[in-house]
Amino acid sequence: MTRAGSAGDIRLAYLLLSPALLLLTVVIAYPVGWEVWTSMTDLSALKTGPVEFVGLANYAQLAADPVYWRAALGTVAYAAVTSAAKLALGLGFALLLARPFRGRTLVFLAIFLPGAYPAGVSVMGWFWMLNPPTTTAYAPFLGQLKHVVDSALGGGAWAFGSVILFNIWRGSSFIAVLLLAGINAIPPELFECALLESNSPWRRFRLVTVPLLKPFLALAVFLSLTSAFADLANVWMLTAGRIVFPVIGTHAYWLVVQAGQYGAGSALALTVVPLFLVVLLVLFRLLDPPERRAA
Amino acid sequence: MNPRPWWVKLGHRSLAALAAAYCLFPIYFMLVQSLKTPREDVFGNPFIVVSPTLENFEELFEREGEVRGFVGSALRRSYPFADWLVNTLIVFTGSILATLVTSVAAAYALGRLRPPGFRWWRRGIFAVYVIPQTLLFIPLYQVVHTLGLDDNLVVLLLIYPTMALPFCVWMLSAYFQLLPREIEEAALIEGANRATAFFRIILPMSRPVLVAAGIFTLGIVASDFMIVSVFLLTPTNQTITAGLGTFDVSLEELGAVAGVNLLAIPVVTISALFARSYVRGLTAAMIEGA
Repeated sequence: MTRAGSAGDIRLAYLLLSPALLLLTVVIAYPVGWEVWTSMTDLSALKTGPVEFVGLANYAQLAADPVYWRAALGTVAYAAVTSAAKLALGLGFALLLARPFRGRTLVFLAIFLPGAYPAGVSVMGWFWMLNPPTTTAYAPFLGQLKHVVDSALGGGAWAFGSVILFNIWRGSSFIAVLLLAGINAIPPELFECALLESNSPWRRFRLVTVPLLKPFLALAVFLSLTSAFADLANVWMLTAGRIVFPVIGTHAYWLVVQAGQYGAGSALALTVVPLFLVVLLVLFRLLDPPERRAA
Repeated sequence: MNPRPWWVKLGHRSLAALAAAYCLFPIYFMLVQSLKTPREDVFGNPFIVVSPTLENFEELFEREGEVRGFVGSALRRSYPFADWLVNTLIVFTGSILATLVTSVAAAYALGRLRPPGFRWWRRGIFAVYVIPQTLLFIPLYQVVHTLGLDDNLVVLLLIYPTMALPFCVWMLSAYFQLLPREIEEAALIEGANRATAFFRIILPMSRPVLVAAGIFTLGIVASDFMIVSVFLLTPTNQTITAGLGTFDVSLEELGAVAGVNLLAIPVVTISALFARSYVRGLTAAMIEGA
């Protein structure tokens, strides 16, 4: 039973919520409002004179622009590939760690570390590792490899591939920890029951583990998708600012910062929001307990 | 548990070893590079270091005029690395504290006091993650400028907590909601007020979840590269991440890698110390769900 709080409790609740809401308003709500408004104007560094309201013209222009669709495709491919790989690896790691064995703590720590390694600088480390200075001992070997990859798949493929590898390395660790926490949250009796019911590990995995983990998998997918779309800095760093395969993030950044087209860039960045909202609603549906537990 | 055949055990062990190697290799590799002398960097085996040196780390702290090494002072800039270190410490601890205070307050409101529609509040706050952060820094810059906080570390103490808040509020409030009401009510009957009951009973019971929230925040703070580079411009005001971003990686190779490690090693160590609590906290929050 959820007991309704007294009026004083409710006032206190709003008071306690206010610092968080203030931060969200200043740092998120206002900037998003500005972005939405700007996406409907022709604000640009190249244009003098008053800013004009142009309605959805920026969006219409995007829809007709092949470069946009190329960037959108690149983004979807990037998000899909990295999310699938992160989920597969993360689930694999979590299942490896699910039951006790000797050395489990060490393996757990090893799997935990990539997620904890500060990405703001590990991206530089990865850049260095995969594109070493020419004097470094293994530079000729990696140079060759880069050449082979780029000539087979087109210029920039090596850079894009390294972004994907980096994202998977880091993300799979976070997802593994999240799913491990999820597995721990499931009562062990359910797994023991499953063990009695079926001898086939694959059936147990498909019919018991996956359905029980569904909400956590959904959470992992959501966080992985949003971070993949927002993953601008990593692409920027690992490709040293040379955007060969544009994704929406880098393309929007380029439009605004290099080309000064605030209106068009804002519209571009916002085009991913509806998609995220749909994913989020699905997530809430999955996280919602089927029968509300008594509080 | 029923006994498993040896080949299942062996398979499990080797997969675990493989996973560990995959996760650790890049970290190991970066560490090894940063310990190399320039000579070994050019002629040595890339995977091991024969005569480790801390020279690359020392170089980061050298002031102008005391430059050594064969690259020479003409090519080397000197970096206010000590300043970066202090700034990084301020930003990291400050952001984590600010996040914990604001999200614990909000989570207590949503999980214990439960104003009307508290589930929707929680979901609304979590929904912040649908907003792509790519371009937010432009309007944010206006806000920062209006507040007169240009080139000031305080900006980060506003932005990072906001990025970490939604997840922390969601997790903490789910946990608070799960604690039985009787715990608090018993204290209230004994004559304690709400604040005492909170600080003496609820907070100590929530330690793993608080640790989880702190480690999550540390992850957010440590992984940002964009915001810190956009908002902190003066070299002495920068953090390690922003400062390293100004390195020319191909010229200052080993120094840059040393800088990476200098930030990464403490962060990784702290996270590793709390790793178990982190998982326990996540689990506790997940039992309740949304």
